[in-house]
Amino acid sequence: MALLEVRELSVTYRPRDGVPVRAVDRVSFDVAEGEFVGLLGESGCGKSTLGNAVLRLLDKPAAITGGTVVFDGTDITTAREETLRSMRWARISTVFQSSMNSLNPVITVGAQFEDTFQAHGIDPGHRAAELLAMVSLDPVVLRRFPHELSGGMKQRVALALALALSPRFVLLDEPTTGLDVVVQRSILDRLRELQVELGFAVLFISHDLGTVMEMADRVMVMYAGEIVEDQPARAMTAAQLHPYSRGLLGSYADPRAAQISVTYVPGRPPDLSREQRGCRFAARCPMVVDACLSEHPELLPAGQGLARCLMVDSPAIPGGFAVPGRARVDTAEGPPVLAVRDVVKDYRGGTRAVDKVSFDLHSGRVTALVGQSGSGKTTLAKLVTGIERPTEGSVRFGATDVGALRGRKLRAYRRHVQLVFQDPFAALNPTSTVAYALSRPLRNHLGLSAAEAGERAADLLEVVGLAPAAQYLDKLPHQLSGGQRQRVVIARALAPEPAILVADEPISMLDVSIRAEILELLDRLARDRGIAMLYITHDLLSARMLADEVLVLSEGRVVEGGPTLRVIRHAEHAYTKLLLDALPKPV
Amino acid sequence: MRYFLRRAGFFAATLWAAVTLNFLIPRLQPGDPAEAIVSRLSGETRIVDPAQVEAIRKMLGVPGGNLLAQYGDYLSAVLAGDFGVSYTYFPYTVTHMIAEGLPWTVVLVGVTQVVSFVAGTLLGAWAAYRRNSRVDSLITLGSTFVGTLPFFWLALVLIYVFGFTLNWFPAQGGYGGGSSPGWTWAFFSDAVQHSVLPALSLLIVGPVGWIIGMRNNMVQTLGEDYARLARARGLTRRRIALTYGARIAVLPNVTGFAIALGGILGGTVLVESVFNYPGLGRMMLEAVSNRDYPLMQALFLFITIGVLAANFLADVLYGVLDPRVRGEEAA
Repeated sequence: MALLEVRELSVTYRPRDGVPVRAVDRVSFDVAEGEFVGLLGESGCGKSTLGNAVLRLLDKPAAITGGTVVFDGTDITTAREETLRSMRWARISTVFQSSMNSLNPVITVGAQFEDTFQAHGIDPGHRAAELLAMVSLDPVVLRRFPHELSGGMKQRVALALALALSPRFVLLDEPTTGLDVVVQRSILDRLRELQVELGFAVLFISHDLGTVMEMADRVMVMYAGEIVEDQPARAMTAAQLHPYSRGLLGSYADPRAAQISVTYVPGRPPDLSREQRGCRFAARCPMVVDACLSEHPELLPAGQGLARCLMVDSPAIPGGFAVPGRARVDTAEGPPVLAVRDVVKDYRGGTRAVDKVSFDLHSGRVTALVGQSGSGKTTLAKLVTGIERPTEGSVRFGATDVGALRGRKLRAYRRHVQLVFQDPFAALNPTSTVAYALSRPLRNHLGLSAAEAGERAADLLEVVGLAPAAQYLDKLPHQLSGGQRQRVVIARALAPEPAILVADEPISMLDVSIRAEILELLDRLARDRGIAMLYITHDLLSARMLADEVLVLSEGRVVEGGPTLRVIRHAEHAYTKLLLDALPKPV
Repeated sequence: MRYFLRRAGFFAATLWAAVTLNFLIPRLQPGDPAEAIVSRLSGETRIVDPAQVEAIRKMLGVPGGNLLAQYGDYLSAVLAGDFGVSYTYFPYTVTHMIAEGLPWTVVLVGVTQVVSFVAGTLLGAWAAYRRNSRVDSLITLGSTFVGTLPFFWLALVLIYVFGFTLNWFPAQGGYGGGSSPGWTWAFFSDAVQHSVLPALSLLIVGPVGWIIGMRNNMVQTLGEDYARLARARGLTRRRIALTYGARIAVLPNVTGFAIALGGILGGTVLVESVFNYPGLGRMMLEAVSNRDYPLMQALFLFITIGVLAANFLADVLYGVLDPRVRGEEAA
């Protein structure tokens, strides 16, 4: 008998006035004592819902609608509240998605440890301090309030708290999402050591493929509420059984490799509020045959594990569309479109966000700014767009000194430099249509009439790959997927025919399987339209894919810069090496 | 500590601005109190003798001289607590009149506000704790219904039912004709009898806002990750509801309460008019309709100080209760 046995588990969301959605559909799996299992899937696939169901923490309108979760002989789905309460944390504990908000903001960290011990009738003694030491935190943290800790420290506290009662099973739901790579690396390393030392079993839920493949002994892949593949991590890295896993793994590559090519999976997941027939991946699958549309495949033994695919024995057709990391031109020709010279930006209180940074942007070339949060990337973007003025140094657009622009002239300059934001959900006004969002810059900057703007808006949508445009013009943002929204944001940025495009982490909020698609679009736009692009990211792989030149930023200074291949494959500066070493290494 | 000092500084600056505005605004209004009195005295004829006007000005002590000198006099008088003589209640001083009315208002409204807040917060927390149960529906629907009733209508119903039909409690006034104010048992019980109906009307409407605010805040905090994690940690339902729900949800309500306390002085006009209660609210109405500048000014200043002090109190309380606020200000 395994430690955790999940059988035929279904979870349904029944919104008060909406169609029920079966987010988790007859899922079965085991986790053995001491095993480290990864659960990989994209947003909306049901992985977090599954995690909450295993802990029986689902809130209305979600509820378990079938199946059992048996932990160590006790059925959690039917256990009485008091039985469950005494099991919780003592035997099953958890670390939530980015623990930013999982600590009570108005009581100290120490009080939250005490709470936990007290609830289980345990004398705390010096346990809390010992637990913090285990995750390399000073006992002084016990007297702190959560808001006084950094994101990484909070996550360490959450991990220490999860181990407080020596549980046999820990569910980790995106435990390091949103943290800087270097911090993430140190937390994951510590987690793995502790797991080996203390021997607890782990279910590790994440969309971060590299991390899951590196950490887990066994990996399950979830798609549209079902598990589609379940294999030892090593076997999965070598040969994926399901075309979707193939697509996902194809979207990851080591940026240091000599030749890289990543793939993406076109299309989007099915709408689970509808009745599903056949294979749920069929619409996006490169190997689809007629049977896939009518016959729902079962999760059956295949390779070294299980797979849910009718074509599992057929030779694999490379999934999706490949985007080659192309060889870049190392030298730029002609005068720069934008010249940044020795720029310094000080903020009130004496913090120096940017310290003597210089670079050029050339037409048709992509320059990547790589660095962790707080390194000054976003401040530089603000200086380039004229939102902030440099304290020292200059930003020149042709003959114009951007830092000296005011009022009408600044407005005129903004036509030439446009932004693509990180969060496509927040970047579009939820109450206005795509057509309206696109027509504003056309009318404001180019002075087009309403009719002309409408026509141009349609053209723009086709340019960013939303064709036929008529299908999208009258849509509201919430009717589009994340990828489609980001395309609209890009189209809006293209509207006033800018010379410069500043893209601030444009793919970090998107699903892994479609990131390459957006990168390909940005790449094409820069080359075809001769746009000078400043690509801001913390992700070295995407920088390698897209950029001609990379600048590595640390504490406001450029510590290393040069042609992409040189910087990433033959990094010289210690900080660049640190960033590269922090990358996950799939087994 | 820096947080509290900053708040105190902000309080002092706003107070000064309020005192100054209070000085300026009546002087920018058209009309002259002396003329108003003369025309009232002479009734319909409206013939105003300049000599009479001058005499009344002397009697009232209407200030002369330039604005700056007036301002200086005003500031020093305010600091000494001297607001002059009331025009309406001549020859009593404004300070005397306010001292008369203040206890009535403060006791009636202060007590009902505190009771409303405590009851409302507890009921709201209970509703959130038993979310979607029958108790929750009863509390939520009941308070929403009561909240839609117009206050004056409710007050009139109370007067009609308990004052006239059942004759249980006196329908108006602060004390009966037979008793005179003093520290006697007879007077005290008489005053309590008189306060029942106004207090009841305030207590029916008072808790509604607190109930709804508390319930909604707490439902939200109980849905946050920290409350979910507390559940996963095996904490008892009670503990989660108190420390991870109510403790956090009550914060905005505390601020709201402190501000509501500040509004006591200004917010009683309606209840005191309806019940003919001898407090500051009714006095203010009189002062405004009689152009009683000294009394008006003093009352407005009182209200302003009340609101400011309450805001200051709210800030200080928030700083004590919510560690996040302290941190942000210090950083």
